[in-house]
Amino acid sequence: MGKTKVLDRRRRSVRNIRKITRTMELISTARFKRAMDRAAAGSAFAERLTALLGHLAASGTQVAHPLLTARTERRQAVLLVLTSNRGLCGGYNSAVLRLGFLHRKKLADEYAAVSLEVSGKRGVSAFKFRNVPVQEKYFHFEARPAFADVEVLARRFMEDYLDGRIDRVDVAYTRLESVSRQYPIVETLLPYQAPAEDENGRLHRAEYEFLPSPESILEEIVPFTFKMRLFRCFLESAASEQIARMVAMKTATENADSMLSNLSMAYNRARQTQITSEILEIISGAEALQAE
Amino acid sequence: MPKLRVLIVTPERKLVDQTAEGVIVPLFDGELGIFPLHAPLIGRLGAGELRILTDGKPDAFFVDGGFVEVLNDVVSVMTSQAVAVQDLKVTAAAESLEATMGRKAAGDEMLDRREEAVRKARALLRTAKRAAAQR
Repeated sequence: MGKTKVLDRRRRSVRNIRKITRTMELISTARFKRAMDRAAAGSAFAERLTALLGHLAASGTQVAHPLLTARTERRQAVLLVLTSNRGLCGGYNSAVLRLGFLHRKKLADEYAAVSLEVSGKRGVSAFKFRNVPVQEKYFHFEARPAFADVEVLARRFMEDYLDGRIDRVDVAYTRLESVSRQYPIVETLLPYQAPAEDENGRLHRAEYEFLPSPESILEEIVPFTFKMRLFRCFLESAASEQIARMVAMKTATENADSMLSNLSMAYNRARQTQITSEILEIISGAEALQAE
Repeated sequence: MPKLRVLIVTPERKLVDQTAEGVIVPLFDGELGIFPLHAPLIGRLGAGELRILTDGKPDAFFVDGGFVEVLNDVVSVMTSQAVAVQDLKVTAAAESLEATMGRKAAGDEMLDRREEAVRKARALLRTAKRAAAQR
């Protein structure tokens, strides 16, 4: 008697949880589509910029910029870790955080000081849990990071770097290689490595007219490429987060389904046993009466 | 008569991809008209109004810096921010100009930055007013 009630209660709670995971799956599927479009637009833009830089180099301009020069000083490094504000996305946060911790240690060995900047509630609480001080916290980068917001960050990094307050900027984020493959990675944004020259760009190079001059364009394009690279990290992280959540919630829903079917079977069996025993009781009671 | 293909892209999305008779872009030091068969060009944009000339209704956007590349009758505009002029508000633009003018600045660098911001705000206001007048 008691067993069927317990089973029924469990079945109901699993069913409720399944509703939640299923909804989250649908939400992240919708967001994932948008995030992917944005990530694609971002990479298309970045490729165009890189191509433009290639044209400049092909025209014989010396690609030199204060952001491009290597630094020998090792005083202050910055590590930016991109995590999500929300959980329920499988190993997404823990993977990037693990890498972030390791890299912070490595930077601390090489540089006199490391300042840590974290985006996302999950990351902030993870560092707090491990008693690692976080210098800057950002919570406003959600599923759709805005270029204007990232630009503010990028501008500060560039100014600090040019004024010599920082010597290196690294970002730990989740790289979006394809829909089926994302992995955490650390990228060094500053000192900025000039992109390798594109062979194709050299082949069909055109005689460009530069307004006002290649140097002036270069002066503008290098900071722009830097901003774009940082923005891309945010975009890819956001898209990866949605994919991770989608996968995690899909698995959770499937698990809930199989659990439900197991529970239902156990419940039906228990119910049948109960009915059988009740019938037996009635029959034996009736027979006992007849025998008298 | 060949036509131009005009692309306007921002880091967040592709805003425009269409054919046109010509396009007028705001370079850092003044406007530049680009028509079919233009020589390959890479230019630095300033803040200002970008106009796409078509048979139908002309389209106009406010762009804020970036680059323009012309190659084989394809004009690609790369900018951090582009807004359709009909979405601009004169009052908001005027307010932002007031705000930037009133900003305190100390030192050459800060002054330069403020001047830059003021120039941008002026261009925005000019574009907004023009759009309002045309309506």
